[in-house]
Amino acid sequence: MLITQLKSKEAIADLIKGKTFIINCHGCKEVYFPEYEADKIQKELSADGDIIENITRDYICSTDNLHVQLKKFMDKIQEADTILVFSCGVGVQTLARFLEDKRVYSGCDTYPLPGIQGVTPMEFDCGHCGECYLNYTGGICPITACSKSLVNGQCGGSKKGKCEVDKDMECGWERIYRKLEKLKKLNTLNYPVKIRNYQLPFDELPKDV
Amino acid sequence: MVDYTKFELKEKKELAEVLKGKDNLFLLACKKCFKEFEIVEEPELADFEQFAAEHGKTVTGSAKVDFLCNNILTPKLLKSVLPQEAENVFVISCGIGTQLIAELTEKPVYTACDSIAYRGHHGMALTIQRCDACAQCYLNLTGGICPIVDCSKSLLNGQCGGAKKGKCEVNKEMDCGWDQIYKRLKKQGRVNELKNQSIEMRDYSKVNYKFIDEYVKSIRQERLEGYKGGIHPKEKKGFSEHISLSEFPSPLTVVIPLLQHTGAPAEPIVEVGQHVKAGEKIGQAKTYVSCPVHSSVSGTVVAIELRQHPTAGFNVLSVIIQSDGRNILHDSIQAVGDLEALTPEEIRDIIREKGVVGMGGAGFPTAVKLNAPKPIEVVLLNGCECEPILTADYRVMIEYADDVLFGLKALIKASHAERGIIAIEDNKPDAIEIMKSKTRNLENIDVAVVKTKYPQGAEKMLIKNILGKQVPRGGLPLDLGVIVSNISTAKAVSDAIQKGMPLIERVVSVSGERMSKSGNYIVKIGTQVKDIIDYCGGVIGDDVTIKMGGPMMGAVLDNLYVPIIKGTNGIIAVEASEREARECIKCGRCVDVCPMELHPLYYAKYAETENWEGMREEKVMDCIECRCCDYICSAKIEILSAIKTGKKAIREGK
Repeated sequence: MLITQLKSKEAIADLIKGKTFIINCHGCKEVYFPEYEADKIQKELSADGDIIENITRDYICSTDNLHVQLKKFMDKIQEADTILVFSCGVGVQTLARFLEDKRVYSGCDTYPLPGIQGVTPMEFDCGHCGECYLNYTGGICPITACSKSLVNGQCGGSKKGKCEVDKDMECGWERIYRKLEKLKKLNTLNYPVKIRNYQLPFDELPKDV
Repeated sequence: MVDYTKFELKEKKELAEVLKGKDNLFLLACKKCFKEFEIVEEPELADFEQFAAEHGKTVTGSAKVDFLCNNILTPKLLKSVLPQEAENVFVISCGIGTQLIAELTEKPVYTACDSIAYRGHHGMALTIQRCDACAQCYLNLTGGICPIVDCSKSLLNGQCGGAKKGKCEVNKEMDCGWDQIYKRLKKQGRVNELKNQSIEMRDYSKVNYKFIDEYVKSIRQERLEGYKGGIHPKEKKGFSEHISLSEFPSPLTVVIPLLQHTGAPAEPIVEVGQHVKAGEKIGQAKTYVSCPVHSSVSGTVVAIELRQHPTAGFNVLSVIIQSDGRNILHDSIQAVGDLEALTPEEIRDIIREKGVVGMGGAGFPTAVKLNAPKPIEVVLLNGCECEPILTADYRVMIEYADDVLFGLKALIKASHAERGIIAIEDNKPDAIEIMKSKTRNLENIDVAVVKTKYPQGAEKMLIKNILGKQVPRGGLPLDLGVIVSNISTAKAVSDAIQKGMPLIERVVSVSGERMSKSGNYIVKIGTQVKDIIDYCGGVIGDDVTIKMGGPMMGAVLDNLYVPIIKGTNGIIAVEASEREARECIKCGRCVDVCPMELHPLYYAKYAETENWEGMREEKVMDCIECRCCDYICSAKIEILSAIKTGKKAIREGK
């Protein structure tokens, strides 16, 4: 699940060259898609430029689904000079590969969603570090709850429990300490020094679909 | 299909270390997400249980949970499964599940797993395309090939020069991303764009976890307000919401089914050849849960025969009347006097006699609902109209506000309720304004503004949202002392009492992006759908689906020679959707949007294998068939039809 923000109107207007076919993706809309803002910009663009079609589909990131969804528009798509896509980066790439000969442009920038691994976006993030530290830290993740992702305790820079990098953020290591104190598990922190292994175990994803 | 399995058990050495000195374990395993959904047991829990046993540990219990990270469902579940005697909780999930559990319980929480790192994120489908969510999309410069994920070095300004024969120097298996970009742009004649491009610098400050986190949370909070789940389809009310009500021309022939309500069909009390007047009773209720039916025109009964019911999927006995074009009213149509003078019983009798049923779709006889076996406290008047496109109730509220209020007062009196609440979604500000001004001086009637969210108008959701009460499983609103009634029903009640008019016409929205001319019409019951569509200029294009009702819950009409019935709030023409089902990937969206807090993904699986016991365990009978899961499914699986199959099998005792 990804969330998208619109590029500026000027940036989008610059992308429109010749006949333009617009595709919106509402697949992850329940998470967030700037539906009304996109509508507004597209209306304005239609007034100035040559928008030959404007369709809304969902889950264009799924290649097979994309083909089904676009089938009846293929003539119009062939006729278009520019395909302007309002979706996350996955959707744009899927379309660009499908329509290899076309200018496929993105009207959005994609932001990561915290809690991407789970089903619902939420306050917890997982750094996918591949060597879970939660057992030492009372279930509070030092990778994501500490600005510096320190794995061997606080940096010493926090003031009144607030992070020195971001004063609105609680020091993750203080939270860890308090939690372990409550659990009477402070001795857990005597674990040997940890070194984070940045090598990603599954860096190479299989390339087949 | 790419398997994005998110976690694996830690190595035994590390697990042994963590287990040291800990006993009386409780194990919680997530059933994983974003992987092809097969009904097989994930092995990790059993492996860990065995490992714990080998180390002489007592396991006090274990649970396998769908979408452990779901912070609405998991807290409820945890309360019921976590035993008192458990001293240590071990979680088998990715880091998110473990962090959530650590926050939910006072007991020490440990993970038995490592999350598997993978680079780049993915969309809802498990594809090879990845997006690193850099917040500054470069795809417009690179022919739609991502330089962040498709170049090992994430270079933004061209190749590093290290590629050999088109293969990356970091990973010889990988194509050089910039080589691919060049080739594609060359094919499109855009190489100059690449050459003339100014130097790009990546702005790492754009990705701000906190900003995104708060942003999404605030959106989600608003979206989940009132009750869990629900969806926000395009509203599409603009086609018809501004169009005033007008009388639909009286048809030459009407087909009036004797079953337009929940319960037993009415029995005909007219004969072929008989002349009837408008509003004359033509079908009589013989049982308690049934409802009389009246003629909507004056004319001659030409047939009493089986005709196709528009939504039920079978034929029902119907009275076909040829209109004489005069619409002469029957003598029985006389005002019955003022509300003050009527007793609750008298009001119920009038409502029953005038054939009033719930007009939101289900068609439950209103008089039966009002004569509840339990004391009623509140009458909730449902003006949500949460279905996209439909604007019938909205127009009734705007144009017949006084009648609606009269109807509500009658419903309150007839049910001995203390108060009434009119619920309206916040996308209808003028209806809210009118109702508020009309109820300002009424002590026992309030207007409740609710968020625009589908299925806000489902009675269970509405009660939970407005009254904060949960209708018990298998129960009815009256178990909580609540009656939910539709806006048009209140108007019909008002007509029955103030004019003596039975329910022989209703407001129907005729709308949708494929309808030539949208509008809101007062249509006589029994008018053919075909006549209405023809009158509105037909439909546009050949990829059209015509539905009776809204786009979410409406019934698809393959045959347009069917009549408008008491429950018909809309005739819509929408673009036909094309879908091809694929394998479920456990994306969990259906669970996220289900307002009844069910697990719809199982219904699709169990229908396939005819596992009715599984359907029962997953509480399929609790489903309100709002179609949210079916709408949101990223694999385009027709979950609703699986649900209907399951319900049918269970009803048949399988």
